[in-house]
Amino acid sequence: MSLFDRLSEKSQLEIETAKEVGTKVVGLYCTFAPKELVRAVGAIPVGLCGKDQTPIRDAETILPANLCPLIKSSYGYAITNTCPYFYLSDFLIGETTCDGKKKMFELLGQLKPLFLMHLPPCCDENRSLNYWVGEVIRLKDFLERQTGTKIGEEELSRQIKIHNKKRVLLKEIVGYCANYPVPISGTDMMVVMESRNFLVDIEGYINNLQRLARELQAIKREGRSVCSPDAPRILLTGCPVGKGSEKVLRIIEECGGVVVCQEHCTGIKSFNLLVDEDDAPYKAIAHRYLKTPCSCMTPNQGRIELLCQLIEDFKIQGVVDLTWQCCHTYNVESYLIKTFLEKRYQIPLLHLETDYSESDTGQLKTRIEALLEMFH
Amino acid sequence: MTEKGMNEKYEKMWEDLGLDISAHDGLLKVLGQFYGDIYLSQDKRLKGMEYLDFVLSEVHGLRIKELQDARAAGKKIIGTFCMFVPEELICAANSTAVGLCAGAEIGKEAAEKILPRNTCALIKSFVGFKLAKLCPYVESCDLVIGETTCDGKKKAYEIFQEYVPMHIMELPQMKGACDRDLYMTEVLKFKAKIEEVSGHDITADNLKEAIKLINNRRKALQRLNQLRKAIPTPISGRDVLLINQISFYDDPWRFTAKINELCDELEKRVQAGEGIVENDIPRLMMSGCPMAVPNWKLPYVVESSGAVIVGEESCIGTRNTRDLVDETGETMEKMINALVDRYMRIDCACFTPNPERLEHIVEMAKDLKVNGVIHYALQFCHPYTIEAYKVEKALEQENIPLLRIETDYSMEDIEQLKTRVEAFVEMVK
Repeated sequence: MSLFDRLSEKSQLEIETAKEVGTKVVGLYCTFAPKELVRAVGAIPVGLCGKDQTPIRDAETILPANLCPLIKSSYGYAITNTCPYFYLSDFLIGETTCDGKKKMFELLGQLKPLFLMHLPPCCDENRSLNYWVGEVIRLKDFLERQTGTKIGEEELSRQIKIHNKKRVLLKEIVGYCANYPVPISGTDMMVVMESRNFLVDIEGYINNLQRLARELQAIKREGRSVCSPDAPRILLTGCPVGKGSEKVLRIIEECGGVVVCQEHCTGIKSFNLLVDEDDAPYKAIAHRYLKTPCSCMTPNQGRIELLCQLIEDFKIQGVVDLTWQCCHTYNVESYLIKTFLEKRYQIPLLHLETDYSESDTGQLKTRIEALLEMFH
Repeated sequence: MTEKGMNEKYEKMWEDLGLDISAHDGLLKVLGQFYGDIYLSQDKRLKGMEYLDFVLSEVHGLRIKELQDARAAGKKIIGTFCMFVPEELICAANSTAVGLCAGAEIGKEAAEKILPRNTCALIKSFVGFKLAKLCPYVESCDLVIGETTCDGKKKAYEIFQEYVPMHIMELPQMKGACDRDLYMTEVLKFKAKIEEVSGHDITADNLKEAIKLINNRRKALQRLNQLRKAIPTPISGRDVLLINQISFYDDPWRFTAKINELCDELEKRVQAGEGIVENDIPRLMMSGCPMAVPNWKLPYVVESSGAVIVGEESCIGTRNTRDLVDETGETMEKMINALVDRYMRIDCACFTPNPERLEHIVEMAKDLKVNGVIHYALQFCHPYTIEAYKVEKALEQENIPLLRIETDYSMEDIEQLKTRVEAFVEMVK
């Protein structure tokens, strides 16, 4: 695990060094942004989603208070220039995922050059694939213009392979929690998964993942577990969670549950699907990203299917569905997910709507304890 | 007709439509009181407004009877929520379009069983109306059209379609060439769907007529907006809002004829230099989210605070009437293109970026010689609440003050709204 500690700080120094030799840094806000293309022009993608409460107050001087904390935090970091990664970014990529981000990007684009990908609201291939391929190619043109580097086919297919390899490894690693003993806590797993969002050296990260996989195998062989055999096995789904916004994850594990699976954007949702290496590269990339089961899609059947698969594979006993306040898409979808899962698996779903502040920690704890009680 | 008389007359019809009769009686009662306080109490109303009073008093009665009769004669009723759905295609297929956006709080509790509390009031209202069995319009629909405009609607339709038969139109969020193509594809799909449901082919002939019909309605409303610009103001903002609201329910032929009659009367009033308020009363314009029947809260507050409303930059306002469809096309292809061109000009905040709206607001504010603009957004409507910042900046450059209001359908904040509006009116005087 020590390989992943303080990775963010280490990366920051590496990025500064890389910038000195002219490498471009590209700020991303969403799992829909095709990282393969960013890497193929030799640029470094960094995740800029705000996960901290601190800059929200400043954001609210311009954005409405009734907006999800992730958007406010991201924008707050930008206008206060307090996020080193935002500062280091040469330009930004946004997508028309949700209303809040879409309209926030209009304001963010006044601070740094921002390329907006138009994500269609339906992920049905017949309806949207050609359109989205067009957007991926528009992004390619933008990246080539910004960096002065043409994307060669060979380099692109190399990047596709590397990113697939990373995804396969991440899937393998989270898979070690599919049964008892559980060799790593959900909180630690989040750190491992999230650290892929600010890497200079992706191959180094892959090496680290391989080492971690061996370590987890060994722990499992020795029968060591971070929890007792009867700790309730929880699946965390919903809005993205990361360092600074992990309170729900933390409380579940503090209260005796174990989060063996995380479906949100920091988790499996964003590495479950691979790019087809045998297909034409731009179409294959477009296809893979379009299938991301985000609630901004209507309908979002993919999420139900993924959740079913995860509930079975990870022997899930309870689901926690986290919605950041005022995120309409996850909030509305929760009703559909709850009705479906309770009917199909008779397992409880706890829907929590909260923000980045610590003001409701006590209340969250009570509700999570009540959920965990059910399994004793 | 008295309320009781009307209730008895239509009770059988409402029952047949599956309404919850006692809850529905409650709704009509509140609506009647509201209307009396907000509308009938006004001084110097135009005689032509009697038609609107009548339509509103029969909004769940006679109009629904007409729709039922039309259905019995084989016509289909198509419900819509959004101006992006081309009504011309519905009319061309010998069907009737009705607006289903709702503006009352009454079904809120029912809606909140399946939707988050912090969903915008408009969405909760139409869902609540359906769940609480309060809306004879939605019960009369053979098909309801949704569109992927905003997050709230887009996701709510996923649940709503468990209760009503729906067709969803995918709407682009940008205005490039590929977005026009996308919308075109959706319009053609919509056309096919309407043909299938109605059993009527849409031909160049009937579409041409439908385009004229809906354009004529827009022209009547444009004429109204031209006339009301006069100083002193000849008609209240509340009345014009009501006219715009009724345009989504009433028969388009009758409505257009009646509004033109009203405009004739208005013309005489303007020529005579008569107004409903003094010349020096502050002139304000509303801008932002739509106000569906019976959401008259803010206009009432504004016009009881010593100001008059002279424009509505909203879907139930100029956003719906500003642009006409080109009428010169003779072939189906040309007419569909003309429709797509016109509908892609709509400057809804769900588009990004949306510079046309800022231009329209500034242009309108200057043209109407307003003293200030009230930006009205429904709580939790991200597109409009975020865009309000840009609207404020655009107006600032023209030295036009703006007041940002975020509210819902409840009456809880009415005193607070009054205080803020009065302070704003005082400031712009």
